[in-house]
Amino acid sequence: MKIKIRKKYLFYVLAFTSAIIAALVSGIDAVAQIHIPDPWALGVSCFVLGVIVSFIFSIILSIPFKGKSLGARSIDPTFRRIRLLKKEELIYHLFAGLGNATLTIGYFMLLYIMGGDVSVVLPFSQVVVLYLVIIESLSEKDTPTLVEVQSSLIVTFGAILGSISLTGKIDIFALGIVFLVINPGWVLLSVFQRKLKMMKINDRPNDAINIRLWNVIFACLFTIIIVLAFDLFSGTNHLINGIQASLNSYFWVGLMAIGTFFNFVFYIRALGIGKASVTQAVKSSIIIFSIPVTILLGYFGIIEPFTTDPVMLLIKFVGIIIMMLGIISFALTLTKSYIFITMKTGYPIEETMKKLWTIKGVNRVTAVTGKYDFIIKVRTRTLVKGYERILRKVQDIPGIKEYRWQSVLKEWEDL
Amino acid sequence: MINAYILLNMKPGNSDKAIKEMRKIEDIAKISVVAGEYDIVVRVQVKSLDGLLKVTDKIQLIDSVVKTTTQIIEKEIAL
Repeated sequence: MKIKIRKKYLFYVLAFTSAIIAALVSGIDAVAQIHIPDPWALGVSCFVLGVIVSFIFSIILSIPFKGKSLGARSIDPTFRRIRLLKKEELIYHLFAGLGNATLTIGYFMLLYIMGGDVSVVLPFSQVVVLYLVIIESLSEKDTPTLVEVQSSLIVTFGAILGSISLTGKIDIFALGIVFLVINPGWVLLSVFQRKLKMMKINDRPNDAINIRLWNVIFACLFTIIIVLAFDLFSGTNHLINGIQASLNSYFWVGLMAIGTFFNFVFYIRALGIGKASVTQAVKSSIIIFSIPVTILLGYFGIIEPFTTDPVMLLIKFVGIIIMMLGIISFALTLTKSYIFITMKTGYPIEETMKKLWTIKGVNRVTAVTGKYDFIIKVRTRTLVKGYERILRKVQDIPGIKEYRWQSVLKEWEDL
Repeated sequence: MINAYILLNMKPGNSDKAIKEMRKIEDIAKISVVAGEYDIVVRVQVKSLDGLLKVTDKIQLIDSVVKTTTQIIEKEIAL
């Protein structure tokens, strides 16, 4: 039997699950760094084992069980089986793979410059939420509302405060890498993964498992090319070291790859429901989930013990509260509505559909038979905006005889 | 595959129980409680018109449902 749940809950469950897994992976990452001190080699081995692990898990999840695949039953209902890439997906995968490779290489460069301690600079990667807000402002359908811009700013600054560290020093060049390499890489990765998730493949929504598998394959290829070029240029042996490390430390790196696979599958599924900026903002909660991991790692002496400085603790606490307020305001301010439209005769249906579709905030237009001619579904952050941005535009479309606005109070849908 | 919206008018009271029963119906893909002329909008996905009839029947058998208005989807653009 299918389970109907509220989609809003599903979105937060997916984004938080992804953040929890990512926090655990960051713990394994700290252990793996002891086994493979060369960050470039660690990155290469992550991708090499990532491809193998993703492939094995995609095959396991393709096994049919009572008419559906294991993956569809447990992780993503739209997943059927592991499949080859479709031609129309290729360009998006190239960008998403390049994004993943770029942010990984950026991270290596950061470690290289900062001599391993990136704790001062890395929190600024949270600013990626604001990059996504800007990108969405430029696109027709995803324009963020004032509430979204406000909440994104609150989450970003909260996340920076919550993850800031006083060890190490601020380096302008390192900050440049965060703002110009890592963050744009992450933007490419999330924007194009979202585009892939929104695509229809064989008349079905695209699934997160195949998207992740192909992303890691492309990211691995790009990383190998970039590291090889760096090796040839500087006379180093990072690529060979990375492949060797994959064989020598397969347990820890493999564990990381498994965690990363599931982290991204849940993240991509969340991207299919919410905007990239909102998904990223909710995922910033990794900072909260990393605290127990950091305390545990500190206890075992793997990393520096968690700070006991009261000022630092206060800053972190304030940051986390601010961040949570931002996430809650995202969750509480989304309103959905139906508009039932009746047309005068003599106006072509397809043309009116296209006009309705161009209105910002409209995310579904259906031509129907019966009492009404169109039923459209709109999403808006405030009802005032719903009137200004949507209803006024609907009224301007020629041929519309009557319309009825029905605000959605609560909603359940198939998982 | 046939997709349709069924718009429901309900008797006041006991709507929670009615929604609970609707959530058990397999072919219902989405249930939205709305404010306005209707009380609930249901989205149905069925294989045939016969299937649509069966779902409509099941909905009409729910105690507090007063009236159903079915709108079959002919064409759709969605995100």
